[in-house]
Amino acid sequence: MNTKVLTNPRFIKKIEEISEQKISDCYQCGRCTAGCPFARYMDVPPSQVIRFIQLGLKDEVEKAQGPWFCAACLVCQTRCPRGVDIPRLMEAVRVLHLRAKEGLLDVETINKDLLMDAPPLAIMSAFSKFTY
Amino acid sequence: MKIPYYPGCTLYTKAKPLNDSLHASFRQLGVELNELAHWYCCGTTFTLARDNRMSLIAPVRILAKAQEEGDQLIVPCSVCYNTLKRANYILKEDTETLDIINEHLEESYNVKEEVVHPIEFLVKNEQLVKDNIKKNLAGMKLGCYYGCLLLRPQEELQFDDPESPSIFENLVRLLGATPVDFPLKVECCGSYLVVNSPDAAVEASYKLLRNARGNGAEALVTSCPLCHYNLDALQAKMKQAHSDFQELPVFYFSQLLAIALGVEENYVGLEQNKVSPKTVLKEHNLL
Repeated sequence: MNTKVLTNPRFIKKIEEISEQKISDCYQCGRCTAGCPFARYMDVPPSQVIRFIQLGLKDEVEKAQGPWFCAACLVCQTRCPRGVDIPRLMEAVRVLHLRAKEGLLDVETINKDLLMDAPPLAIMSAFSKFTY
Repeated sequence: MKIPYYPGCTLYTKAKPLNDSLHASFRQLGVELNELAHWYCCGTTFTLARDNRMSLIAPVRILAKAQEEGDQLIVPCSVCYNTLKRANYILKEDTETLDIINEHLEESYNVKEEVVHPIEFLVKNEQLVKDNIKKNLAGMKLGCYYGCLLLRPQEELQFDDPESPSIFENLVRLLGATPVDFPLKVECCGSYLVVNSPDAAVEASYKLLRNARGNGAEALVTSCPLCHYNLDALQAKMKQAHSDFQELPVFYFSQLLAIALGVEENYVGLEQNKVSPKTVLKEHNLL
């Protein structure tokens, strides 16, 4: 039997540095995903993103759209039985992407009515999460 | 009494009713909200990347200005409250970062400022509110919507229990109304996802409103301008997406406070609410 051991210590260390969380603290109970109001929009929900990080699957993490649907509402942070600050991990995934590549939000693509009607802090918040 | 006050960007624009009704109500209580002479954007949503010190600079500069005016800063916007209070908490713990930031600023922050939400102030000064009530909101059934930013993270904000809070209900009771409990009062409205995934915000807010109405609420009360936008302005989209949807007015807590304190109508700003709250107010002889 061939067992392929997947580790990517540099990637894991980077995520742990930015988030100041210990990735091995998560024991995959799935409570974060169960309570996440936006999990239904996520191809890869929070608990799976964390599993991918634990296994060092950098490409899988980068491809996942899940972290971009996280609204940083912190419900999962309140409920995690292991005290893992999951939103900090989602932010670390986003930030790694944004620091290396282009931002994901362009003012030209925002609905014009929304741009006129929404409070400035909605636009500012979105830019602070989706651009760098 | 004069207390330093930080409005934040949205209270001068889209959330003007929150600013106007709060100022007028506090005047009625004999408290002057003394707006900081110089203030900046707080940076909006708090960064969750621990290696990002830049985003702490805006909150620190605001808090440094505030400390010159008094040891408490009243902040009504949930987003600003969250950002300023979290920055304050982190810098109390992390003196190394505080020193680095102070070194680069003209101001020097001593980390002694206390960030206070008006709801906290009102509930603490219960008697003052009671003594000034002109029109009791008796009979009004209100769903108190907390959202995320006043409650989480609890260890940093210390606002109330994050799963089962009651401070907002206590305020509503003070005004004579009946709070209606509904399970989704602490769930997210969709927040800034409205900018790039509007459907997610429409659906999350629809669920919230349906849940509040199903539990008997005649209107919703909130403190956050972003929640208010999602819950109030997006109701037109909810109607398109769900044939069973029934409108529900959404107040800022300060609008109801102003009505109860008998503040002049032009400070309450009811015409800026997208879903008119006038019918429900008339039903209770409050208009």
